Amino acid sequence: MDMLICVFCFVFFPPPVSHSQITRLYSRFTSLDKGENGTLSREDFQRIPELAINPLGDRIINAFFPEGEDQVNFRGFMRTLAHFRPIEDNEKSKDQNGPEPLNSRSNKLHFAFRLYDLDKDDKISRDELLQVLRMMVGVNISDEQLGSIADRTIQEADQDGDSAISFAEFVKVLEKVDVEQKMSIRFLH
Amino acid sequence: DKERKKATPRTRRGHARGRARRGGEEDGDDDEDGPRRAGHRRHRNRRGRGRASGNEGSDSEVEPRKTRKNQANQKSKEDGEEEEDEKGCKSGKGKNEKKQDKKSDKKGKKEKANKKKKDKKKSGSGSDSDSEEEPITEEELAKLKEEVEEKKKLIATLRNKPWKMKKKLSVLKEAQLFVEKFEGALGKGKGKKFYAYKVMMTKKWMKFQRDFENFKTACIPWEMKIKEIESHFGSSVASYFIFLRWMYGINMILFGLTFGLVMVPEALMGKPYGSLPRKTVPRAEEASAMNFATLWDFSGFAQYSVLFYGYYNNQRTIGWLKFRMPLSYFLVGVGTIGYSFMIVIRTMARNANEDGGGDDTSFNFSWKMFTSWDYLIGNPETADNKFASITTSFKEAIVEEQESRKEENIHLTRFLRVLANFLALCTLAGSGYLIFFVVRRSQKFALEGLENYGWWERNEVNMVMSLLGMFCPTLFDVISSLENYHPRIALRWQLGRIFALFLGNLYTFIIALMDEINLKLEEEKIVKYNMTIWEASLYNGTIPENSTAPPIQVDPADVPRGPCWETMVGQEFVRLTVSDTMTTYITILIGDFLRAVFVRFFNYCWCWDLEYGFPSYSEFDISGNVLGLIFNQGMIWMGSFYAPCLPAINVFRLHTSMYLQCWAVMCCNVPQERVFKASRSNNFYMAMLLFILFLSTLPAVYTIVSIPPSFDCGPFSGKTRMFEVISETLEHDFPSWFGKVFGYASNPGLILPFILLMVLSIYYLNATSKSYKEANLELKKKLQTSRRKQKKK
Repeated sequence: MDMLICVFCFVFFPPPVSHSQITRLYSRFTSLDKGENGTLSREDFQRIPELAINPLGDRIINAFFPEGEDQVNFRGFMRTLAHFRPIEDNEKSKDQNGPEPLNSRSNKLHFAFRLYDLDKDDKISRDELLQVLRMMVGVNISDEQLGSIADRTIQEADQDGDSAISFAEFVKVLEKVDVEQKMSIRFLH
Repeated sequence: DKERKKATPRTRRGHARGRARRGGEEDGDDDEDGPRRAGHRRHRNRRGRGRASGNEGSDSEVEPRKTRKNQANQKSKEDGEEEEDEKGCKSGKGKNEKKQDKKSDKKGKKEKANKKKKDKKKSGSGSDSDSEEEPITEEELAKLKEEVEEKKKLIATLRNKPWKMKKKLSVLKEAQLFVEKFEGALGKGKGKKFYAYKVMMTKKWMKFQRDFENFKTACIPWEMKIKEIESHFGSSVASYFIFLRWMYGINMILFGLTFGLVMVPEALMGKPYGSLPRKTVPRAEEASAMNFATLWDFSGFAQYSVLFYGYYNNQRTIGWLKFRMPLSYFLVGVGTIGYSFMIVIRTMARNANEDGGGDDTSFNFSWKMFTSWDYLIGNPETADNKFASITTSFKEAIVEEQESRKEENIHLTRFLRVLANFLALCTLAGSGYLIFFVVRRSQKFALEGLENYGWWERNEVNMVMSLLGMFCPTLFDVISSLENYHPRIALRWQLGRIFALFLGNLYTFIIALMDEINLKLEEEKIVKYNMTIWEASLYNGTIPENSTAPPIQVDPADVPRGPCWETMVGQEFVRLTVSDTMTTYITILIGDFLRAVFVRFFNYCWCWDLEYGFPSYSEFDISGNVLGLIFNQGMIWMGSFYAPCLPAINVFRLHTSMYLQCWAVMCCNVPQERVFKASRSNNFYMAMLLFILFLSTLPAVYTIVSIPPSFDCGPFSGKTRMFEVISETLEHDFPSWFGKVFGYASNPGLILPFILLMVLSIYYLNATSKSYKEANLELKKKLQTSRRKQKKK
């Protein structure tokens, strides 16, 4: 049933992934789907060890689920994973007029940005940074030191002086980081 | 492991990363059963390769080689690999791996079919060369070449073409066949077989090189242990263990030299035990020769064996191989020192190179914040380590920040530092004088006979040394709190001061040895005189002195023996090493382990909180351990000429030390309060090591050059000086013109200008390197200001 929907959709929407990639992703999807009802719930994702021990695991899982829903179907699953498709050279020269592909550098960074920006106000505030730090470090570092680290991070990145990191500033911070390669998964091909 | 079996034949190519990715892709066809996940499988593929996961740890951290973690990873990778020439990648090669990584990533984008094609091509290119036998003209050859190149390009870019899968597969097969068929024919006429063969061999060679690199990386010992310690305790503690591992490598080489070129030839080809007086336990000691107590003390059978200098015979050549034993002994002795110098300086130079590049990142904390986690970790233990290392990395960054922000009252700080240095100097001078005084007294006691004095006088020197060694470091610690330095710099000062203190230790040891050597030399004269009397008594005075008599058979054990100062020196060094080792182990077991057990279990029934107050868990004492290691190595260098067994003992000691200390650190120690980042290069340790090496060669060289060897033992007995073996070899084994050339070359008139030339070139090179460093700093400053300007905009 889902495969049918996909094929149907591909006629009308440019595919974010290619045919063989879809086959592969579908087999993943079905192996994750324990309830065999064609959708994934949060518990299904939490069964993946890498996500379970990841401090940001819950947020990554949330990124799969559209606003307010508890189940994700195969198309949603694929849309999220399409962010991680490696950027290929020939695509850069494809039509510049069309909508930016999901796996462009900017969209990859946007995906990462959304992991940190919980209240979706397009800014990472000091509190959000503190939350992330607390998750990464536990209780081993005192609160005030964590606060200083958060302040220092904002100080490094902030350019317009609003004491928060906007998306453009986030992009600037990770300018020298090879995001195209690091945020790519070769589950395709 | 199912995945690994599938993955192995194809994925042996390439960097571990590309390997892991392809390993993940390999299973695309099959419907994997339930619990396998892409990341999980990839992770297991990587974990299956042991060392590779450490490698991944450094690669997948996003920051391009700029986090401390990455540097430490690289450094530990490189340091561990600096050990020996045979093992390990140099930093240049490390970069190469990254390039290979990119290359193999691009390759990873190719379809599976492409890989199948590669496999076939490898095996096929050789075989097809003999199918084309007709002569081909030049034109046709050129055209053919062009076509083959075109087909190859097509294969490479096939996946990018927007065709259907079926079409791509058929085009691929066709191109593949074409290339196979004609590539072999590209060589001209007779040469085409050779060309095909060459192509195949190049591919095989590249594959072999990659496999070998991977194998070399997997061979680095103890890498996972050190990584674990690094995550929990920080890079400064880990730097000690990396240093230990490096020392282990050097000692292995020294062991190889002494064992292979000195001990084994003598054992196999020299005269066996009991055939010569020098190779036999004297009658007087025979009864106790096999006791454990005697053996532990390295006398008895241990003394009269290949382990010590005295056993070796002074025959010029031994065995059917005509192995020149004395020459080999001398050259190995000189060679161990020479090799050690070379490798220490080489390591220093390499470290200095790395030190040159600074890492001024303007987004230090942001990068740590956003990019520290390694998303490919699936194992809970690894995750724990990763948490610990993230915490440690933040703590280190905090310390760096604090130090750079400290508001200094320059005058007060300077005054305090001067005061602290003055106090430290006083302490050192005081302890130096105390040592000198005590040694003088003990020499006086020895002259008057030790039996007249009690226990204290007999052991005065040892006791004073131990007491100084216990209290002075703590005193230096207290003094250093006045100075208010960055912890890394404070550690260096601490090391330097304790080093100076231990030099006093060394001084007493050498003085004691020299005294004993002089005693033995005196004894020799007496024994020589007695020997003539004893020989005469054998003949009962029946035969006049100047006629030859048939030699009387005497059991070698009964012959009176001359004193052998070299063996005595060797024994002293061996005993010192063994007792040092025992002391270290017992200190660890009692001082760390028992203390931790006590604090842990008696905390329940104690009045105050043992864990926070006194005594609490111990911290790892970096300076003490490093100095212990360095001085131990100094002893080895000094003593290995007289006791060829020393490097072997040291290898064993370092091996057990590594395991014991790794366990003790993880089990009984807590990380320091202020965890600081170790300096990127180990050059400070290297500098001290170099100094000790220089100091240890002095006594050995002095004894070789100016003390006559014992007449009754060792490979140089009978010569007036040990180095005469060289001139002897030149005379007998080399053609005569060689000797003349050597004679001219050792003329002082030639040597002095040579020394002058070397001094001048050192000065010149120093000046140029200084100017390069300055230019470097200027450029860095420019970068910083330009970045700051950009920010302000």
